Amino acid sequence: MTRYRAFVIPVVGLVVILGGFLAFNLGDNLVYYQTPAEAIDRQEEFAERRFRLGGQVVPGSVGEDGGSVTFQITDGVATVDIAHDGAPQQLFQEGIGVVVEGTFDGSVFRSDTMIIKHDEQYRTEDGGVYTPERRFPSE
Amino acid sequence: MTAFAGFAGILIALGGAVALVVQGARGFRSGRRDLVRWPVRAVLAGSVLAMGALEVGLLTDDFSIRYVAEHHSNDTPLIFTIAAAWAALEGSIVLWGLVLAGFTFWVYRTVADGDRIGAGALAVLGIVAVFFFGLMATAANPFEVLPDPPLDGAGANPLLQNHILMAVHPPMLYLGYVGLTVPFAFAIATLAAGEGGKAWLDRTHRWSLVAWTFLTLGIALGGWWSYEVLGWGGYWAWDPVENASFLPWLTATAFIHSAIVQRRRGMLEAWNIALVIATFALTILGTFLTRSGVVASVHSFTQSAVGPALLAFLVVILIGGFGLFAMRAHLVASTPRLDSLASREGAFLANNLLLSIFAFVVLLGTLFPLLVEAFSGDVVSVGAPWFDRAAIPISLVLLLAMGLGPITPYRRARGSVMWERIRGPLQVSAVVAAVTVLAGLRSVTVLATVALGTFIVAGIGRHLHVTARRRPEPYGRAIVHLFRADAGYWGGMVSHVGVALVAVAIAFSASFDVRQEIDLAIGETVEFDGYELTYEGPFVQDEPNRQVIGVVIGLSRDGDELSKLRPRLNQYTNQVQAIPTPAVRTGLSEDVYLSLVRVDEGGGSITVDAFRFPLMWLLWSGALVLVAGGAWSLIGTRRWARREPRALEGVRG
Repeated sequence: MTRYRAFVIPVVGLVVILGGFLAFNLGDNLVYYQTPAEAIDRQEEFAERRFRLGGQVVPGSVGEDGGSVTFQITDGVATVDIAHDGAPQQLFQEGIGVVVEGTFDGSVFRSDTMIIKHDEQYRTEDGGVYTPERRFPSE
Repeated sequence: MTAFAGFAGILIALGGAVALVVQGARGFRSGRRDLVRWPVRAVLAGSVLAMGALEVGLLTDDFSIRYVAEHHSNDTPLIFTIAAAWAALEGSIVLWGLVLAGFTFWVYRTVADGDRIGAGALAVLGIVAVFFFGLMATAANPFEVLPDPPLDGAGANPLLQNHILMAVHPPMLYLGYVGLTVPFAFAIATLAAGEGGKAWLDRTHRWSLVAWTFLTLGIALGGWWSYEVLGWGGYWAWDPVENASFLPWLTATAFIHSAIVQRRRGMLEAWNIALVIATFALTILGTFLTRSGVVASVHSFTQSAVGPALLAFLVVILIGGFGLFAMRAHLVASTPRLDSLASREGAFLANNLLLSIFAFVVLLGTLFPLLVEAFSGDVVSVGAPWFDRAAIPISLVLLLAMGLGPITPYRRARGSVMWERIRGPLQVSAVVAAVTVLAGLRSVTVLATVALGTFIVAGIGRHLHVTARRRPEPYGRAIVHLFRADAGYWGGMVSHVGVALVAVAIAFSASFDVRQEIDLAIGETVEFDGYELTYEGPFVQDEPNRQVIGVVIGLSRDGDELSKLRPRLNQYTNQVQAIPTPAVRTGLSEDVYLSLVRVDEGGGSITVDAFRFPLMWLLWSGALVLVAGGAWSLIGTRRWARREPRALEGVRG
């Protein structure tokens, strides 16, 4: 039993230190996900911090500005201006759901990563939702 | 009709499972095997009927079944029609039930009359079966009938019908995941009986190895699928659901090792039982994370009532399993007789400790977002860099233990013996590390991984060489003999070589990958990290279930064309988002990986994501070696252990 104890005590100490270190470290590695309304509410808190912002691309807002794509996204409550560096994916278009990742630069959100939102519900050409009963509502 | 037969199958299996719990418990008291014969058969027959009916429904385009209408369409190709049976929530649980029933039947065949532990284990399997078939009969009924069937269905999720691997990856994972139920059942039965000894372990060790081998294969296939199909340029992202498969893998790996200590030295019995219970709880946790929608992930299924049910089941497993453990573990606990920490047993302890810490860290990172959301309402995820930072040091120490452990003698390792055994491998390792430095590598992590990987392989090679030379037969036949007579040990060593290869490949691909987003106009050539990419033109291909937009890109180096790459975007009729299929050129030193981001002006200009990943072939072949080692341990011990006299050289130490 004593031999075990000699082994167990340093090990428990090690685990505690490691666990504490990890938990402490975790906070800095969290990536927050926010909607436009939340992002505007907490803009100061997240002034320098990277986070993910998800919403719908506002129709008519897509433009270009010196190599980056600009558009607005909304959650129906608030709207945020986005400047995205890099080419958006093929299916990037007005009205589609996107998640962008980056930081606020003044009132503009600068993003370098964009994910077109992968919907659980598949959508029809006219934006309606498929149901088993109604596959092609436009037909 | 099909739906009726399928649902009848579920009810038969559910009834059988309930009977199995009752009769298994009676058999546990009396040891009578015939009590469980019919319940086991009913569970198997019912689950086969349910799975068969689901496949028939899919293959005959029976859109009156809601599941078929939602996950299949007339133009779905045959292979994905078959795979659709496990591509969504309800169907995946049917497959789960079938695998569980198969394992239950297999266990039943190993149970002899008078085998109380075996009957008890069958009762525990029955409890798990009641839960899963109960789910199918209520919250996740795959045979729900639509009153007004549509003419065509919505089709499968495009991500899932994009590659043939989708048909193979989930069943492999399930064989692994569900297989871990068997050791759990035996552990609980042993606790309930209050009888220690290594009988339960001799039996569950094999089961764990079966489950472990399939789980390893499933995880490797998942990584390969992610790399070859998803097109985001990677194979592992510390996604919660990837972690969910990795957690039980870690604890199952720990168990496979600590079970050896118990079988050979009679130590760690209570620990082994705790490990097995934890492993099973982690599989249920993983199922909960995947099926409940509590974490966002590419893998998650739709949100449904299954989530709360799985959570409740997890709580039952944790309270029931560990409660029983707390009350009765003292009955089975072995008295520790560790002679010295510097021994094979000590190395196994270190291994278990490291794997447990690893599992704890991954669990913490996976569940932390749930805690944050529960307390503050913020939606967060833990970044991959955090996992990397925690995993690298643990993995390096694990590699060191892997290099030393298998060549350390049992009981007590004398310094002189150890030095003789590690001297050669150390020299080889130092030479290889020096060559790596001279070749221009400066990353400490990569160097350490290369040195430790070489040390592991060289140590195993030396041990095999020395042991084989001591035998009377000619050298070649002696090696064959060793692999047959002591398949457990040498199969394990093959797996260790696999881990070393995988570790080196991960270190290289994670440290030296290059990514560049490239815009190309037709006919244009752009430099990419020592290669030239020439955009030759677009092509369009119409397939029954999708439209493929692809581009042809010539890949050359110093003017010599190496190959033509065809990255594509697949547009499925049932979804807005196009799914990219990357094009990969695999080379001896590195892969060039192109993923099509967008096509503009009718193909006049395009954007591709270009990646360079070193040593990817080593990762996949290392994973295969890892699986092959597990399979060899299983098949070898079964086929040859009884025929050839046991060669103790490998394990004597």
